[in-house]
Amino acid sequence: MSSKRLIDDGPLRVKAVLIVLFVLIGIFMFFPMYWMVLTALRPSTEIFSRDVGLIPIGSTTLANFRAVIGDPRIARYMLNSVFVSGSTSVATTLICAYAGYSFSKYRYPGRRPLMFVVMTSQMFPFAVLLLTIYVMMRFLGLLDRYMALVLSYVTFTLPVGTWTLKSFFDHMPDSLIESAKIDGASRVSILHRIILPLTIPGMISVAVYGFVWSWNDLLYALTLITSPERRTLAPGLVMTYMGEFQRHWATMMAASVWVSVPVTVGFVLLQRFFVQGLTAGALKG
Amino acid sequence: MSRSRNGRTGGRQAVRTGLSDAQFGVVLALPAALFFAGIVLYPFANSLIMSVFDRSLIYPGTDFTGLRNFRRVLSDPNFPGVARNTAVFVSGTTAVSFSLGFTWALILNQGYRGSAFLRGLTLCAWIIPGAAIAFLWMWIFHGQYGVLNLVLRRIGLTSRNYTWLGTRQFAVLAVILARGWQAMPWYMLLLLGGLKAINFDQIEAARIDGAGNIRVLRSIVVPGMRQIIGVTLLIGIIMSLQHFDIIWVMTQGGPARATTTFSVEVYRHAFQNYDLGRAAAVGVIWSAILAVFVLLNLRARRNGE
Repeated sequence: MSSKRLIDDGPLRVKAVLIVLFVLIGIFMFFPMYWMVLTALRPSTEIFSRDVGLIPIGSTTLANFRAVIGDPRIARYMLNSVFVSGSTSVATTLICAYAGYSFSKYRYPGRRPLMFVVMTSQMFPFAVLLLTIYVMMRFLGLLDRYMALVLSYVTFTLPVGTWTLKSFFDHMPDSLIESAKIDGASRVSILHRIILPLTIPGMISVAVYGFVWSWNDLLYALTLITSPERRTLAPGLVMTYMGEFQRHWATMMAASVWVSVPVTVGFVLLQRFFVQGLTAGALKG
Repeated sequence: MSRSRNGRTGGRQAVRTGLSDAQFGVVLALPAALFFAGIVLYPFANSLIMSVFDRSLIYPGTDFTGLRNFRRVLSDPNFPGVARNTAVFVSGTTAVSFSLGFTWALILNQGYRGSAFLRGLTLCAWIIPGAAIAFLWMWIFHGQYGVLNLVLRRIGLTSRNYTWLGTRQFAVLAVILARGWQAMPWYMLLLLGGLKAINFDQIEAARIDGAGNIRVLRSIVVPGMRQIIGVTLLIGIIMSLQHFDIIWVMTQGGPARATTTFSVEVYRHAFQNYDLGRAAAVGVIWSAILAVFVLLNLRARRNGE
């Protein structure tokens, strides 16, 4: 009997190879995550012992997490990042929705070149763009302002966002728009009252994508924000923990886990909506 | 057509948006176009132009210097090293994340119980901040208390500790592994999408003809995924060529410049030495290399349409 799976795992030899590969890649993939959490849960003195174990026997503690969460600097960076990522997320979702709708449902000269150009905006070397963006933001008085970050992040998340939403609009039957037109609705209200509400799963994916991108960026945040109290998370973490003479690894691991929580939670949401969005794409009748 | 309809339905809204459909479409795409022009197009052009000027971030004034910046960059004895480091970093991370990502996608595609959960857990590595990933791998590679040294000692492979990040070759390997770990889930996700799209009837037919797993993979799966494999590799390479975070946090380009790639070099020239012209000259050379992959990528996509 042939297997229903892509790799026929009937023969014992195949099964053995699959298991070995599974274990090896599984260790590479998940052991670091496990180690991050485990270190974060250990007393900071214990991790420097030569005989530290690979499994959590002995004492575990939440002290490292308490230290991180209670650190006013980390709280500050977190708040700054929430603001920057939130603004990016809202702005990019709107701009991508309009652009995606335009590319999908309207025809005008220059549409194809424009689509092409928007798609490439993630492919230019970010560090090279930054040379001018830095000078430009300084000239505009936007250096050390969150606006400089939000403008950059919105642009860099345009390609994926626009293409995601465009594919949503592509799946929407033109008859939907036509019948609304016949009912006398204007193009603006068709877009806002009928089309966008149907695209919410896609818009949420794009919003989360924009959020995660801004949350994780180091290069721009490190350069365009200059005062310590305005720093966002990634440069904040680096400046806080790398500058110290003695590295507190347990606290650093706790901080790493702690700053990953918001994006991980957001991603779990994204996954659900992503699936929902795909099924909604099958709406066409 | 719709203009006449708008005219007929009369209403205030039709007056307010008295644009043709084409114009309305342009207006909708305008914000995206403006962002692109202001944050990508102008800065890119301007950065390229900067490379023929002597310009500093701290001293005012710009002097036209022709190709002097390029001469300085190309005669810099460190520059071939930067190009080589970038090539090693990009090919290393691509090899690690593609081979592991593809194998992992094949395993998760088998539909064993728990696959969806493992896929989600794998993707966590891709979405947590690069700075956190860098911390994690610095701790794993820690010269005294790192778990890698611990494990190597326990299984008896070595009796001493290695200062991984302080040794040139090992530091390169360490940043490659860290970045490969971060990028692998993304490869897995795209390749998993490609695997799902493979026509299963073809595989069954081949099996009836007596084809084994290797032959199914070689003659059906890989050819069927050529498009997605190509695009995934090219975007992956473009992203690795761009990479900054993990290298910067883990090694700052060291030790002895062993992990200094183009992005680290540009950053250092511009924002640590404040020499914009020289940074731009490195950027121009880097962009030319990047452009090759971007064009390949765009061509591959167009062929696929």
